[in-house]
Amino acid sequence: MTRAAGAGICAFALAYLLADALHLPVLVYDPATGVVTTSRMPSGLQMRYFGDLLLASTAGLGSAALFGRLPSRIPVAVPAWTALVLVALDALYYLYRLAGF
Amino acid sequence: MIDRALLLAHAVLGFAALFAGTHHAAYAVLSALERPRLRALRRFMWIAPAAMVAQAICGLAIYPAYRLRVRAMDFDLNAPALVRLFELKEHLAALAVALVIGASLAGGCDRSRQARWPIAALSCAGAAFLWAAALIGLYVTARHPL
Repeated sequence: MTRAAGAGICAFALAYLLADALHLPVLVYDPATGVVTTSRMPSGLQMRYFGDLLLASTAGLGSAALFGRLPSRIPVAVPAWTALVLVALDALYYLYRLAGF
Repeated sequence: MIDRALLLAHAVLGFAALFAGTHHAAYAVLSALERPRLRALRRFMWIAPAAMVAQAICGLAIYPAYRLRVRAMDFDLNAPALVRLFELKEHLAALAVALVIGASLAGGCDRSRQARWPIAALSCAGAAFLWAAALIGLYVTARHPL
């Protein structure tokens, strides 16, 4: 279970970071018009947070389900510590953006 | 009116998630230190994820109203630093959801000794992100509630 959880968090953190950094096309929602579309670069009031979350959650759940079913000899600590490194990278990326660069 | 009710629910459920995540982290560390708290870890296996998902649903429900009434009408014009701070909070909260749910489910199901420290580390990271998101959320809401 810990391997599957670690793999799920790894996939979530990676997909969440890449979706934003590489401007992957995701669902975007315009709160002014209530319209949902797909876009790489939201404009105006459009929000891509829901789309990023959906993409990352799908990747995380899929990865956890896949890893949970596969027999694995990988030590339980490997996916967990990898997940922490990826989450730390995400946090550093967003802190870097907070600084306005 | 509904948005303010949802904001209150988001705050209350957010604190429930925060304390559930923090308790889980404390019990996970105790287990890693050879003082296992199996009943508590089993209890928080569902309490922490349920509180996290419920507060996240409330937060997502009011996000469009924040975007229109707070960000577009105030922060974008008067306080752009708060826009970036709130975005950091949203990203930390998203990562915390994954960490807390993953660590809680693993802590409730996995009894192996070698899993204890990895679960404790994931749970502590989730709790730390939750605390940061909660404090930023309180600060931003104090500046301009819905």
